[in-house]
Amino acid sequence: MPSHPLRVAVVCSSNQNRSMEAHNILSKRGFDVRSFGTGSHVKLPGPAPDKPNVYDFKTTYEQMYSDLVRKDKELYTQNGILHMLERNKRIKTRPERFQNCKDQFDLVITCEERVYDQVLEDLNSREQETFQPVHVINVDIQDNHEEATLGAFLICELCQCIQHTDDMENDIDELLQEFEEKSSRPFLHTVCFY
Amino acid sequence: MFLFLGSSKDSWYGGGVALSLHSSRVRGSILSSGYCLCGVPHVLHYVSVEVGFKAVFHSFLDCYSRKHGLKRVVIIRDFRMESSSGEKQQRSSVASQFFTGTEDAASDMTTNEKVVDLLNQAALMSTDDKLTALKQVQELIINKDPSLLDNYLDEMLAFQNDKSIEVRKFVIGFIEEACKRDNELLLKLLGNLNMVLKDESVNVVKKAILTLTQLYKVTLQWLLRTKSISDVQEGCWDMVTQMKGEVLALLDSDNDGVRTHAIKFTESLIITLSPRTSDSDVPKKQEGDISLDKVPKDHSYIRYDVLCEEGKSALEQLLKFMVHPAISSINLTTALGSLATLARQRPMFMSEVIQAYETLHANLPPTLAKSQVSSVRKSLKLHLVSVLRHPSSVDFHSQISTLLLDLGMAQSEIARCVPAAAQVRKRPRHEPYSEGKRIKMEPTLIEDDDDKEEPAPIIAPKPLATTGTQSAIDLTAEFLLPLLTPENVANLVLISMVYLPDNMPASFQATYTPVESAGTDSQIKHLARLMATQMTASGLGPGLEQCKARDEEGKEGEADAAVAETSSKDPIIIRKVSAVSLGQAISVVGAYKSEATEETPQAKKLPEPILPSTQPKAPGSSGRKKVFRLADVVQPLSDSQIDKLNSMAVRRILQSEKAIARSGMSHVRVKLLARLITQFKGAMKDDMLRFILEDIRSRIDLAFALLYQEYNQYLSELPSGSLDSYEHCLFALLSGLQERPEQRDGLFNKLVLEAPLITESALEVIRRYCEDESRVYLGMPTLKDLILKRPSRQFQYLHVLLDLSSHEKEKVRSAALNIIKWMYEKDHLRDYIEKFALNYMQLLVHPNPPSLLFGVGEDTEVAAPWTEETVRQCLYLYLSLLPLNHRLVHELAAVYTEAIADIKRSVLRVIEQPIRGMGMNSPDLLLLVENCPKGAETLVTRCLHILTDKVPPSPDLVERVRDLYHKRVPDVRFLIPVINGLEKKEVIQALPKLIKLNPIVVKEVFNRLLGTQHSEGSSSVSPLTPGELLIALHNIDSTKCDMKSIIKATNLCFGEKNVYTSEVLAVVMQQLMDQSPLPMLLMRTVIQSLTMYPRLGGFVMNILTRLIPKQVWKYPKVWEGFVKCCQRTKPQSYTVLLQLPPAQLASVFERCPEMREPLLQHVRSFTPHQQAHIPSSIMAILEANSRMPEPEPAQHEPEHMKAHEERELHTQLFVRPITQAETPAPVVVAPPELAPESVARREEMEEPMEEGEAGTECLEIATEATAQIEALENESGATPVSQAKAEEPMETTTTEPAEDQPREVVDNSGAEPETRADDPE
Repeated sequence: MPSHPLRVAVVCSSNQNRSMEAHNILSKRGFDVRSFGTGSHVKLPGPAPDKPNVYDFKTTYEQMYSDLVRKDKELYTQNGILHMLERNKRIKTRPERFQNCKDQFDLVITCEERVYDQVLEDLNSREQETFQPVHVINVDIQDNHEEATLGAFLICELCQCIQHTDDMENDIDELLQEFEEKSSRPFLHTVCFY
Repeated sequence: MFLFLGSSKDSWYGGGVALSLHSSRVRGSILSSGYCLCGVPHVLHYVSVEVGFKAVFHSFLDCYSRKHGLKRVVIIRDFRMESSSGEKQQRSSVASQFFTGTEDAASDMTTNEKVVDLLNQAALMSTDDKLTALKQVQELIINKDPSLLDNYLDEMLAFQNDKSIEVRKFVIGFIEEACKRDNELLLKLLGNLNMVLKDESVNVVKKAILTLTQLYKVTLQWLLRTKSISDVQEGCWDMVTQMKGEVLALLDSDNDGVRTHAIKFTESLIITLSPRTSDSDVPKKQEGDISLDKVPKDHSYIRYDVLCEEGKSALEQLLKFMVHPAISSINLTTALGSLATLARQRPMFMSEVIQAYETLHANLPPTLAKSQVSSVRKSLKLHLVSVLRHPSSVDFHSQISTLLLDLGMAQSEIARCVPAAAQVRKRPRHEPYSEGKRIKMEPTLIEDDDDKEEPAPIIAPKPLATTGTQSAIDLTAEFLLPLLTPENVANLVLISMVYLPDNMPASFQATYTPVESAGTDSQIKHLARLMATQMTASGLGPGLEQCKARDEEGKEGEADAAVAETSSKDPIIIRKVSAVSLGQAISVVGAYKSEATEETPQAKKLPEPILPSTQPKAPGSSGRKKVFRLADVVQPLSDSQIDKLNSMAVRRILQSEKAIARSGMSHVRVKLLARLITQFKGAMKDDMLRFILEDIRSRIDLAFALLYQEYNQYLSELPSGSLDSYEHCLFALLSGLQERPEQRDGLFNKLVLEAPLITESALEVIRRYCEDESRVYLGMPTLKDLILKRPSRQFQYLHVLLDLSSHEKEKVRSAALNIIKWMYEKDHLRDYIEKFALNYMQLLVHPNPPSLLFGVGEDTEVAAPWTEETVRQCLYLYLSLLPLNHRLVHELAAVYTEAIADIKRSVLRVIEQPIRGMGMNSPDLLLLVENCPKGAETLVTRCLHILTDKVPPSPDLVERVRDLYHKRVPDVRFLIPVINGLEKKEVIQALPKLIKLNPIVVKEVFNRLLGTQHSEGSSSVSPLTPGELLIALHNIDSTKCDMKSIIKATNLCFGEKNVYTSEVLAVVMQQLMDQSPLPMLLMRTVIQSLTMYPRLGGFVMNILTRLIPKQVWKYPKVWEGFVKCCQRTKPQSYTVLLQLPPAQLASVFERCPEMREPLLQHVRSFTPHQQAHIPSSIMAILEANSRMPEPEPAQHEPEHMKAHEERELHTQLFVRPITQAETPAPVVVAPPELAPESVARREEMEEPMEEGEAGTECLEIATEATAQIEALENESGATPVSQAKAEEPMETTTTEPAEDQPREVVDNSGAEPETRADDPE
């Protein structure tokens, strides 16, 4: 086991569904975890596909919740958005944007390739200082509740395995290969430096 | 509190200076974040000084400013303190002056105390708490009160050896912070850093690498700045340089993470050791960092040129590292990032970077998995874009765009990333390949910063392209270009089809993009270049050869280079080159090879780094030795792994039995296996043996191969070799065989006989076979074969066989004995066998059975008594040999005489079979009888009995026995077996003695004599007929034998009803009656005969009648019997009675008064005529009751004569019908002298006369008693002697000399039937 607990970040686009689901599970399992979004705004499904609810990252989950309740309580109850926000409220007050966070992590897990690219771009655009490595792994998860739950468990299992390796950096390659086989989905993986 | 800020000519330095009160030293320390622009708030916060020492501080400050060339120094008074508390307070309480922090100000403790306290606690805490405490200490002594730093340095460093990795890492972090805070600590702490660089934990090593990355720069900067020359500082620099080398070597580490960190270190090192140029991207935080351009050329020990070289070699290493075929995806990603950083921060390396990207793109490591390929391509794309955005990449846009297009980026997207200015300058496609190595570090160094962007290649693109000498790739590409005609390409495709792998490699799949511009010039060029890259990478192509040629010439001198360069288009550069030192010139000039002609010798360093395979690896280089060294990519296996692999390999060969058999190479497999197994000991061998035993019938070849191989191994190691392995092998095979149910295939025999050597343990297995009743049929013949066919160890095997001859299991024993008997015929084995048998038998003379008779495991006490079992054990072998070699019997007799009674008894029981086998004609046996050693009498007797049991004795034997009896041992019992061979008179002579023996023996004697014994019938001719025997009994002299014995003997005769028929008895009676004097037992016999055969009544009447003339009354006993007989036979006997003289008749009536009346009646029933014949004297007696006195015997004499005549008449008258058939017996007149004798003996006779039936009863009792004794003896063999005496009243041989002998005989007779029943014939 690594001598210190892994610092994990889970990143999706809006820091609502996938990253929060994983955040929820990982924190229950005792990980030092934070969650982020990489989008410029927080988007939640609206009454029609072309009419999403858009918030900025300063809006708290509570505010979004009230807003949606006000707009169409039944619709948002039915599609589970309110429930999700309810859960998110319990975890933290508002969504966070990855690009705005200067804290260091050991492991960043992204939930789709676009997010992965954005994370890499952001990390690479930062000025390197300590050369402390951070591993970035992409686990593709569709943006719905079920997949989010399944994906969160996969992420959790992955984190647990990584946490239990003696020498994460040396073993992670092999570990990911195994996971790819097991879950039959490809992982993107790279390393960046702070 | 003071803050000083200084500025040199172009940058600001800031620093805090602390005066330490207790150490009374003045020390300066520049904060790591001490750049004034960002560091001011920190500096203000932490730097404080004791007011009272202001003067000292000022002088220090002056000195410091001068040293560092600070032009302006701003001294800020402790604005907070002064404003709040003033100088007084500071002087009075040192502690409170130092702190402006909130919590510590409130605390009563001084910082010093707090540090001490925390350190003390930390030593005892758990890891987490320890870290917290240490972090506090670090905060206190580095940031809050740096004056304490020196004091507690040692204490902090002590944690460097903590067992917790986190603590060790923390200490490294502390070293970094401390060194940044106080550069002079580097002198001390670099040593520690060097130590942790070799820590066993990779995480610690990684942290150390990170720290060194920082401290390398710090050290360089500090050393350059101080300028003072000191050995210590020089040593410090040496140390850093050495550590740098070590970290570079870690590029070859086994650990992925360590390599990643080493790459980042290399990146940082290259940036530090190369000059910053105006087009360099400079991260804001690194603006103050040292770089090569800031290194003075006149430093005493830090040499500019050396650093420059080191930087380049580091780049080379990095590039080499990147093309390692087995590079991990993370390392590759890291390296790609590093290259991008290099390209942006040091655009002079742009060319190398782009080329490396190209090479990589064309040669993605085959080891990458599919998703890793995606990841790497993504990284590559990302970094390419970042490079593309850099203005200096403008010359490479074409290559970058091609790569990006290949990576799947849209043209429009690419266009968006290109800086506007660069797009204008896009050139024809072929141009980018000419290496734009206009890298001018020299200009920077020589302060001509502005020149470096001179776009020389751009000015003259064409000549560059045509000469095409920049690199091997370029050369080869140009060579290929005209060759790529459609025909050639089609052929190439066809040829390469053959080599395509079965499955599409992941990297190909990922990188494949449809060729959009097929057939166009640009595409052909692209193709040519791709091929050139591949060819060069594998060491082919004209370009490479040319480059090599160039390299060789490269060292021929700088003059040439300079000359060559004068012809180039950049005279300014040339000038500058010549100005710099030699070493630099080479590398720098190398950049110009593109412009030089092909023979230009100086293109030495730059072109090749990305083409590692074209250069033979430098053995000492810390570069990618891994490519070539097998040991780098393979881990040494642990012993257990090796074992496992070994055994798995062997197992596979084992399991491939059928497949190999089909291919007809079984013999090779067998040989191979045998050799392998013999070499590798251990479990594999057991596996193999198990395998063989699974189906030994078909794997016997393998078994033999293994066996012989093992034996060879042993022979080859002689004389020190050990047989253990061979023995184990043979033993396992034989034992395994034993467990198999089906054994008829003869494998066991084959294995034993063909094994090169039979070891002890193998012999043991064979023995086990023999002892196993279900395997004995296999074991014995095998053992036999072994004895016969392995002469060298014949006796060893024979010994086993002989041992088995006394085995407890009958089946085993008899099998062994059979073989031994067969072998006994062989002369060379005979002695051994005989000796063994003899030895074994001679054990019997010991008072107790020796322990060797018991199984090895049985720990029997030595004092155990002989048992039937143990005695037999000793004898089986010997006795079975006896019929084969009769001479042995003498030894047996000798042992017998010495043995104790129990053994003797046992011996007698078991010798029957062998003795019978010898036969009575055996000369040795006859000799034994003749000699009859003292003490062996019973043995001899037993032998005689056995011999004559079923066959009549031979004259020879009889002769010997007779001899023995007469001359040496006058024991009548010797005669019994041969009694039928004796002459009649001898028998009669011996009879008195014989009938005095034990009734059972007597019975046997009679059986023999009467021929009732032999089942075959009376083939033997008895010297006496039954009648003669009975007569002889009657005639035994009563002085030689008591009457009782005689009576018993006659009773025995009467017992044999089928022998003593009425006829025989009649003859006997007739003869006895004719004797004179009459035998005493005559009438007894008559009565008994009558009882047995009532139809003899008439004959008896005749006898009685004929006795009258013999004056039977003169023999009291006979007379008594006569009367009794008459009494029994009335009324028949009336006639006889009437013939008696009157006196005798009166005597009859006296004895039996009840007879008179019936007789009288009888007479009266006569006719008167008949009555007239009755003498009146008789009638008187009949009628006159007992009035008449008994007549005088003498008086009766004449009357008797007369009466006789009358009786003759009577007989004719009355008895005729009865006696008609009878032969008239001769009238025998009894001699009168006999009478007195008879009277004298009358009393004696009385008893026997009355016990006709009682005799039989007595005999029965005797038999019963004998049976009891027998039973008793069987129960407790030791003490029956006294009992026998007490309970055997009939025993007549108690006077025998040897106390046990009589018992022996008794036992013999008794035991005989038993033995026979036991005998399993």
